[in-house]
Amino acid sequence: MEKITLETKNVSIEFPGVKALSDINFKISTGVIHALMGANGAGKSTLMKVLAGANPTYTGEVLYNGSPVELRHPVDAKKLGIQIVYQEVDMALAPNLTVAENVMFNDIVMNMKGKLLMNYTRIRREAREVLKQLNVDIDVRRICSSLSLAQKQMVLIARAIQNECNFLILDEPTAPLSDSETDELFRVVRHLRETHNMAIIFITHRIHEVLRICDSYTVMRGGMIVDTTPITQETTSKEIVDKMLGRSFEENFPKEICEIGEKAFVVENLTEKEGKVKNINMYVRKGEIVGLAGLVGGGKTELCKTLFGAYKTSSGKISYNGKELKIKIPADAVKNRIALVPEERRKEGVLVAETVNFNLAAASLNRFCKLSFVSEIATAKNAKHFVDELQIATPSIRQKVAFLSGGNQQKVAVGKWLAADSDVYIFDEPTKGVDVGAKQEIFRLINQIAKDGNCVIYATCENSELLSITDRMYVMFDGRITAELETKNTNETEIMRYSTGEVQEAFA
Amino acid sequence: MTTSKKSAGKILVNWAAVLVLVLSVIVFTMIKGGAFFSTTNLINILRSMSTVTIFALAATVSMAPDGFDMAAGTLGTFCAYVFASFFLWFGMPLWLCIILTIIFAMVMYLLTMFLILVCKVPDMLATCALQFVHQGLGLAYTGGSAVSAGMTAASWAKIFKGDDLSPASGWTPSTQAIGKDPWIIIIMVICVAICYILLERTKYGRYLYAMGGNKTAAKLSGINVKKMRFMAGMFAALFIAIGGIVVCSRNSAAQINGSDSYLMSSLAAVFIGRSIGGREKYNAIGTAIGALLISVLENGMTMCGVVYYILPAVKGAVLCLALVAAYATSKED
Repeated sequence: MEKITLETKNVSIEFPGVKALSDINFKISTGVIHALMGANGAGKSTLMKVLAGANPTYTGEVLYNGSPVELRHPVDAKKLGIQIVYQEVDMALAPNLTVAENVMFNDIVMNMKGKLLMNYTRIRREAREVLKQLNVDIDVRRICSSLSLAQKQMVLIARAIQNECNFLILDEPTAPLSDSETDELFRVVRHLRETHNMAIIFITHRIHEVLRICDSYTVMRGGMIVDTTPITQETTSKEIVDKMLGRSFEENFPKEICEIGEKAFVVENLTEKEGKVKNINMYVRKGEIVGLAGLVGGGKTELCKTLFGAYKTSSGKISYNGKELKIKIPADAVKNRIALVPEERRKEGVLVAETVNFNLAAASLNRFCKLSFVSEIATAKNAKHFVDELQIATPSIRQKVAFLSGGNQQKVAVGKWLAADSDVYIFDEPTKGVDVGAKQEIFRLINQIAKDGNCVIYATCENSELLSITDRMYVMFDGRITAELETKNTNETEIMRYSTGEVQEAFA
Repeated sequence: MTTSKKSAGKILVNWAAVLVLVLSVIVFTMIKGGAFFSTTNLINILRSMSTVTIFALAATVSMAPDGFDMAAGTLGTFCAYVFASFFLWFGMPLWLCIILTIIFAMVMYLLTMFLILVCKVPDMLATCALQFVHQGLGLAYTGGSAVSAGMTAASWAKIFKGDDLSPASGWTPSTQAIGKDPWIIIIMVICVAICYILLERTKYGRYLYAMGGNKTAAKLSGINVKKMRFMAGMFAALFIAIGGIVVCSRNSAAQINGSDSYLMSSLAAVFIGRSIGGREKYNAIGTAIGALLISVLENGMTMCGVVYYILPAVKGAVLCLALVAAYATSKED
């Protein structure tokens, strides 16, 4: 069959302050399954969005069969047969419509000009044919919200190939799937390569899957392509991990030595109700910073929220100093002096529409009240104290938090818990989206919290951060803890191997 | 320059309601002179805004934590039935009637809270459904008619009164006084003060506003969001009960659907009040100013000979403008 090629030449993308992609030269031709790998923030999704026409601000050029094309709109990409299935399947599906309608969605939207009535018989027939091409058995009359995640993905793949499709991009398709569902997906992907002569680009973190199914792979790091090679019998996972890590980025943050006390915060057999995290056993000693490692989707955020009562537990026990804590809702966690600095700062961590003053008192208002009446003097004093201590850059304590920089917002989110004088601090990606200077300050702050004899849990997918700030860490994969590592005896390669699920059985 | 223009525009939007209020006072004074701009008429206006304000305060406390109540009017009507029947049919003392009516409103509000907090029905839909429940149960309670002086009690009252269903008492001067100035105005001012203190001065007010700004963040700050929503509901019930009693007293009867029509006016007042001074929050003082604006417009237009049946359109137009001011400037589209 004739091969179509798609090639990027010196494609770059700059976001304010960051170069997300720099001079990418990437080439793929039909008839292969190609893996795109890299740590979080390497630029994989950004590059694929360029190909899908969802990143119209790129510079450089894209060649389709050797001739330059402009991909400035998703429709441009679709016309060339480039289809993408995003990781968040629910964003792309209309859950209240049937499978048939969802598979034929583009057809319904694009090809109904001048027509008024829906021809459901035709839509169902064509949808059935597409699903048959995939060799998938889903009743086209079913409502999409009743499908499993794997089936939803199939519906989206069916939608993608229902249009002309030469290049199919799958953004982390296997992350939420079980083993058997993954096998089924692989079967479909192979089938598409053989019978439809498609190129399938897989964005994934799971190295063993890459070795199983892909013909070649590209590794990206820091917005650049490190290497593109075919996969042979000799390819090892170690070689891929090494390429993903490259030279280690030293944060150069000196870890201050804190005195580590006895076991204080203990979690036994904790399982979340919907199985987002399973069978968690962990402990934190006083003065200790314990890391939660793992890739996006590994279950770190879910574990943090479960510990804090934001997700319901089905079994398990959480205790502090030997006393069992009953945590059903976040309010219980706060009562038991547990603090969570959540990942989505603007959505969950601070109240952006309120002032610095308001936010810094939000978690501990009782301390500033007399008979339920808030003392403005007391909250202002509290706010001033923490603005000084944390060096929050704000014109006044009356400033709305929305107008602060990311790093300063994060300091407010931390400060609110310092005001509440908690015992256990859980940080979920606290350095996400803050600049290097602010990062250092947040590290110093966390160190200070540990030094004061509190328990600290630090979840992040930045392994270099874990290596520089934690004492010990748990690595998560697929909602489970797969390893417990002493920071001084480990390295990025080892963490990466556990987080990609490559060594799963080691810690059972 | 554009930024200064923008900020000038923003200030204009923020104070638009107050500006309209002042302008309408000036215009009506120019047309009607002393007849409009006088103490007597001011009292008229304050009296007529009282009921709207009290219902609007109920809406304010519901909406501060991002809730809603479409059934405030119908519950107010039901409260009026209960109040009038306790007083007229059973001859209970006034203070007892008031307390029992407030308790009744809170008990009825448990149903609202059950639907919203336990069954997780969205506020708007739950309270829309409850409108019918209130209307139906209310009329079942009165035996299908209004409750006014001199009328016999509903037949179920036999259980308590024996076979004699004739009224136990008529309206007394003190009951009548609730609906007249100065008491109606004093009651309104007290209600505004309660709502103001709750929302602006206590920690509960902060919790409610935090929830209104971002429920997830509020929850993750350790605020018990369900408990707080419940508390807001109980305050709403309090204001609804008072509103029902005031309307009943003003009409000297618990009329069928007596308070239903206050719902929309009260929502208008709340939305107008939201943007005053750039607060962008549902607040007691803003709500009162909103209610005042509506009353001034109604009063002035009536005085200028505008036919009464057009007035709802004016109210609607003011509400539309307030909503445009609140939403047209928001960044999302």
